[in-house]
Parts: sequence; C-alpha cells; structure tokens
Amino acid sequence: MASAPPSQGKGFLFDIKVLELADQRGEFCGKLMAGAGADVVKVEPPGGNPTRRIGPFYQDREDPERSLYFWHYNHGKRGITLDVRRPEGQELLRELVPRFDVVIETFPAGYLEGLGIGYAVLSALNPRLVMASITPFGQSGPRRDWKSSDLVSLALGGVMMNCGYDPMPDGEYDTPPIAPQMWHASHITCNQTNIAIAAALLSREQTGKGQYIDAPMHQAIAANTEQDVPAFVYTRNTFYRQTGKHAGPAAYPTSVQTVTKDGRYVHTSPGAGHGPELLVELLIKHGLGTGLDAPKFQDVEYLRRPEVASFTSNLMRQWVASYKFDKDLWKEGQDVGYHWAPIRRPEENPDDPHWQARKTFSEVYHEDIDRMLTHVGAPWVAEECPWREGPRAPHLGEHNHELFVKELGLPQARFEDLKKGGVI
Amino acid sequence: MPFAIENVRITDCTWMLAGAGGPRFMAGLGAEDIRVEWRERLDFMRTASPTVIPLGEDAEKVRGGESIPIPKRQSVNQGGSFAENNPGKRGISLNLRTDKGKELFKELVSISDIVIESFTAHTMGRLGLGYEELRKVNPTIIYIQSCGFGKTGLYSNFASTGPTAQAMSGLTEQSGLPAPYPPAGWGYSYLDWSGAYFNASLMLYALYYRARTGKGQYVDAAQTEVGINLTGTALLDYAANGRSWKRTGNRSPYVPAAPHGAYRCEGKDRWIAISVYDDEEWRALTGVLGDPAWTKQERFAALGSRVTLQDELDSLLEQETVRWDPFGLMEQLQQAGVAAGVCQNAQDRLERDPQLQHLGFHVELPNSNVGTWRVKDFPIHLSDTPAHSGGTLNRGFPCYGEDNDYVYGTLLGIDEVQRAKLAESNII
Repeated sequence: MASAPPSQGKGFLFDIKVLELADQRGEFCGKLMAGAGADVVKVEPPGGNPTRRIGPFYQDREDPERSLYFWHYNHGKRGITLDVRRPEGQELLRELVPRFDVVIETFPAGYLEGLGIGYAVLSALNPRLVMASITPFGQSGPRRDWKSSDLVSLALGGVMMNCGYDPMPDGEYDTPPIAPQMWHASHITCNQTNIAIAAALLSREQTGKGQYIDAPMHQAIAANTEQDVPAFVYTRNTFYRQTGKHAGPAAYPTSVQTVTKDGRYVHTSPGAGHGPELLVELLIKHGLGTGLDAPKFQDVEYLRRPEVASFTSNLMRQWVASYKFDKDLWKEGQDVGYHWAPIRRPEENPDDPHWQARKTFSEVYHEDIDRMLTHVGAPWVAEECPWREGPRAPHLGEHNHELFVKELGLPQARFEDLKKGGVI
Repeated sequence: MPFAIENVRITDCTWMLAGAGGPRFMAGLGAEDIRVEWRERLDFMRTASPTVIPLGEDAEKVRGGESIPIPKRQSVNQGGSFAENNPGKRGISLNLRTDKGKELFKELVSISDIVIESFTAHTMGRLGLGYEELRKVNPTIIYIQSCGFGKTGLYSNFASTGPTAQAMSGLTEQSGLPAPYPPAGWGYSYLDWSGAYFNASLMLYALYYRARTGKGQYVDAAQTEVGINLTGTALLDYAANGRSWKRTGNRSPYVPAAPHGAYRCEGKDRWIAISVYDDEEWRALTGVLGDPAWTKQERFAALGSRVTLQDELDSLLEQETVRWDPFGLMEQLQQAGVAAGVCQNAQDRLERDPQLQHLGFHVELPNSNVGTWRVKDFPIHLSDTPAHSGGTLNRGFPCYGEDNDYVYGTLLGIDEVQRAKLAESNII
C-alpha cells in the first residue's frame, strides 16, 4: 500500500505513464519523472533488480527489501516483475507497451533488440512511444561495448581531472584526481536524458509520434565539466585541479576553505564581481584588526597587494577559527555580499528552517519498519504543479496484481500461471 | 530534420552558467531564445570570463595547434565561457530600469511562452516585472525564477554561485579523500550544470502542462535545492541508521569492489580509473599486468579479502600501473573485460577519444565577432528531432545587442527611426 498521502494538485506530467526497465544508470530518470507527477512503473526481474543489492542498508542488514539506495532512487514509483528473457515475458511487455508513453531502459546496447522487444518492435505496437536507452557509451561507435562504472565514467568524461587537491609547489601532484561521490555519473546522464524525454513528449504533442532517444553516459558526462573544454578550444591549455575550488590554467594559492575551531570548513569565496573592500567591511563590523578604518583600506588596488590581501585574509581566518561550525559565520559573509556557505554534510540540511519553509524534505512512512524517514522532497516550489511526495519505493512485485489484472485485464488464471512459471 | 520545440519563444534574463545553461538546452532543442542584457550590468562571462577567445594572429596560432596565454580582452564579445554557455541564442540590449524599457520588456513577454531569470530573488519584483505583473500581459506565461537559495524561505537575500550551492548542499563535503584531508569538492560549478538541467526540464514540463491544460505558472527554483536532491542516499543513511557522511576517496563504499580507484600511470599527471567487481575481473586485470608475483598471493584472490586489504592492494597495483601508458593499459583492460578508463583532460576528450568523435561531442558554430569555433553539443540523441547547440539559427553565442533589429523590428514592429531613438536614449 502506498503510504504518503497523494498531493493535492496535479503534477506537470499528470497524464504520462512511464515503464522503467533500469538499473542504477537510469533509476534517477524515473524518480524525477515520478516527482513531476508521472505514473512510473518499475519493471524488475522476478529475482529483484540488481540495485536492491546496493547499500547502504536499513540497519546495515543486507536484504533486497532494505536497500536505502533502492528506497531513494525508486521513491514515487510502482513496481512489477517481469522476466524479459522469457518469451512469455516478452509477450507481456508487448501487451503493456501500448498503455505507456515512455520506456526507459538501461540494458546493454542491442540487448532488447536481440530479444525482439527493441524500439522498432515496440514503436510499431505504439507509435506514440518515447523510448530512452541509457548505456555507458551509446548505441553505436568503436567503444559501444566497453565496460564502465560510476568511477570510470567520471574519469573518461573528464570530471575527475577537474576535481581533487592542490599540486605540490613544483606543479606535480601527490594525490589522485577525485571522483565525487555518490552516483553522479548517473545523475548527470539522467538529468540530460530527462530533458530529451520531455522534449520528445512536447514534440509528440505536435506530430502525434514518439521517437527513440540514445543516451550515452560518456558523452553526457564529457559535456558536464565547465571551463576546461573552452579553455582548451580557445587557448590549447589544460587545467590544474585545486582543493575545493575551480580548476584553472594555473594553480593559485588562495584557499576558499576556512577551518573552524571544531575542524569543519566554511566556504569563504567572495563570489564573482565582489571586491576585497567587502572583507574590510566585515572585519570592521566584527571589531577585528586595528587601523582598518584608514583610507588606504578603502583602496581596492591597495587591498589587492599580496601582503595586504594576506593580512586581511588571516584576520578573517583567525576569526572563523575561533568559533565552532554551528556558529554559522557564513551568514556574516553573506551579509556583506560575499557568496559564503557552510560546507555541510548532507544530513545537516533537513534541520535548516530555510529548507523547512520550502518543504525540501518530506517525512515518509515505511509501514514495514513502522517508521517515518526523512526523504529528499521537492527540488523546486511550484504551487500549480506540486512535487509528488511518495509513495515509498515498491516492494518486489508489489503492484503485479494491480497492474496485470486490474489495469491490463489479464485473466486471474493467466496471472497465476505467469507467477507459477516464474515469468513475473 | 525538425527540432523538438521550434514554436517556443523564451525571454531569457539569465546569466552565468546556472542561469544561462537552461535556456542553452532549450535553444538547442529549437526554441527561439532571446537573451536580454544591459551594458551596465553585463554577465561576468562576457566581462571576466576565465577564458578569452583569441582573434587574428592568436587565433591562427591556436588553430595551428599552438598553446597561447589567455588573450587580452578587446570587447564583451569574446568571452570563452559566455560562448560555451549561450550558443544558439539571440541577444538584445534593454535597459529595464527605464519605464520605456519595462514597456518593451512586457511587449516581448506578451509574445513569449517562457520568462526565465536568475537574478537574486527580489530583483524582478522590485523592477515591477515579477510574475504577477507579467501574467497581466500574458496570462499563460511560464515564469521560472532560478536563484541560489530560492525566493521562498529565509535566505532569499543571500547570493550564490555554483561553489556556494555545492558547499551548502553537502556535495562538496561528499567529495574527496577521507579526513584529515579537507573536502576536495568539485573543480567546477557542477551545480550550475545541474541547475541548468533542472531548469530546462522545468521549462519543458511546464510547456507540456500548458499544452495539456492551457495553464501557465510560476516556479521558484533554487540551485542549492537541486544539490540537495543529489544527496538522497546519504540523507537516508542518516535518517535510518544515524550515520554521518564520511568520505572514502575513489573507493566504492556501497558496492563491494577492489581494486577501485585512480592509479598513477606513466607521464605527467596521468591516471587510470579501474573498477573490479568480482574475481573474474581481478584475474583479467592481473593477466593484463603479466601476473606479477604479488597478485598470486592467496589473500588477494577473493573479493571480500581484497576489499579489506585495499590500502596495500592500491599501493601494489600502482607500482604496476605507473609503468604503463594509460591509454594502452585502458585498451588492454577493456579487451580483457575490465572497467577501466583514463582520467581524461579536455584535450583527450577533444582530440583522442574515438567514441566522442563518433557520437559528435562538439559542433563548429559561427559568431560575427570571433568567427567559427567548437562548442559542446547536446549529448543525448533524439532520433526524429535531434538537438543541435547552434539551434535553429545554426549560430554560436550572440554579440551584445546583435539581434535588436530582428526583435524590436521584425517581432515588435518598431521602425528603424524609432529604434535609433531608443538606442540614443539609452533604452536599447
């Protein structure tokens, strides 16, 4: 049973039905569409989707019904089982497809085609179908069949060479490039695939026809980094990665991380277009240093001299270091116009009254463990089309009867046979 | 082939990447995007872009394969990041602080489908150009407001760029080697792209909703909230298990894998990422390495044991990889069935990646000031309505005010004499 109450308003995609045959490469796609109001039905093999084996697990007990990974990425979906390898399963999928607008799949390139349920077959059954295939390298090309992982995708795509720690003074690195955790290769790809799916749905409004979407993770990620590609295109220079800040054509020494008394960090970058005079304003406001009211401290050129910049910066750093992280000194930086922020752990956000006011998080009841858990909720505030909260991720095959018998209209006897035969 | 959304017009009041990125995708999908700018408050990517597009002799050098220092900026139509963030868009100049300017803006909104802006939360409202005002001139307008922390809530006066949002959301803290290392964070504005993806999806979703119901709407989007949406599993781990986030570098904390990391190779700052999930892949890896003696130790044979011995395993493995050319090793490992990839830099992706070349990583787009240069294309391939970063114009970024004649003349019907007067009086 779905536990969260249905939202009052309709979502953006209120009349869209999605069939998702996806592992970790595509589940975020379906999750976002479910939040935006679509009816997303997750199709798992009868033995359970491999993503049910991804941790962490509830109370650290490994179990297909206790994967917190699965709970998060399949939030808001219904769940059925169907073995696509079996002819009866393929037949069942062909019966389902005319009732859906979108299919999202993450099988290896060409796999569904080989089973007789590729786009050509499915679109003949439902010409309005939008089908998106997410694969590590795309449906064609010399590396189509190469293997990947979140880490390897972030390496090849260039993310890692932008992220990491400062080089040594000689410009050499004694630390590896870093792949930010967790699952961003999938986030990056799913986000862009969502754009393509939504565009295809809009195009369908005009033409009445669906289309096929080939979503190569490698290209999606390669297009995600920011200034390194234009810098190479326009000057043929490659970048240095640096601790906690933008990679650049040269390593520069100023840290944008300032440590607090309890060993946490405040992000103390001024932000684009904000000058050093604002730092002086902040220092004076908090009674730090002496003589800062002298006119030269209003002179931006003077303030930019390395020894002066270092003097004012040290005053700020000592001040931040004399308080604990929860003093929230970042707000003082914001008050003078700087783009400061606390470097928070993810779990430190739900208590912030700002996010509470925006309903960024939602409490979801999990009846099987009889507990409310805090989930990420709406990524935006939209009164007309509120984010759909819940239901919690489906148990394995939870909606088989609902979907196959009540909605598709299979006779009970055939449903039982499919179950007994291990097709669903 | 047709574009997906050729019949859509966007009044684009965004800047930087977080703002400009969403409409970039829309232009690539076929929308007519009109970027509204005023010379006294230009996008930093025009005036302070970290990369400047070379002209003349400099440009010839770069095209000939030579590296050059960042060129001196001669105009606002030379920003490398601006070019990357705004291909396929039209550009107009408009002074929104004047009454006539506001009037023209409303005229443009009245013939648009979407307004998107990324100023600080109260800017457009203070100008008298907030959603409530604009829906009076266009009842079905879709208004997307996108700022760092959002308009609703306590932090609407706070400002943010990508790194700010990354810091607060938790993404910065999640990235890097275990303490006592500080967080490594992201070496670019990841949440600018992520915010742009969400904004593009939002615009398309809202267009879809309007197509089905006839209704426009206002959406209050926040870049930091997008970041929070990418931290879900860690949040649940805390909610369910009380566990705080701890960094694990490049390891695989939630799917058993070892080795799993980036290993140094031959050459300056060269690394290869390797993910080994089972014992068969492990044997394939050691086979490619020529089965060095240490790999035959019984304690490395099983995955579970390798996971617990990762510190030692990583340092032994790196003593092997450091003797390899990273690309050669990658080829061999992939042939043997191991997930492996070079940590590629921009040059690698642009010049020595046959897969990206096959897929069409970048396109050549012309601009009236800097000529034709490469820009990243939309990486997802639609079979019937393919996207193209140059949009319907097949053009790169707009120069400042480049499309004033088209927008004010052709679209709004203001004649040449009137347009000249508007320009003289600092309105356009």
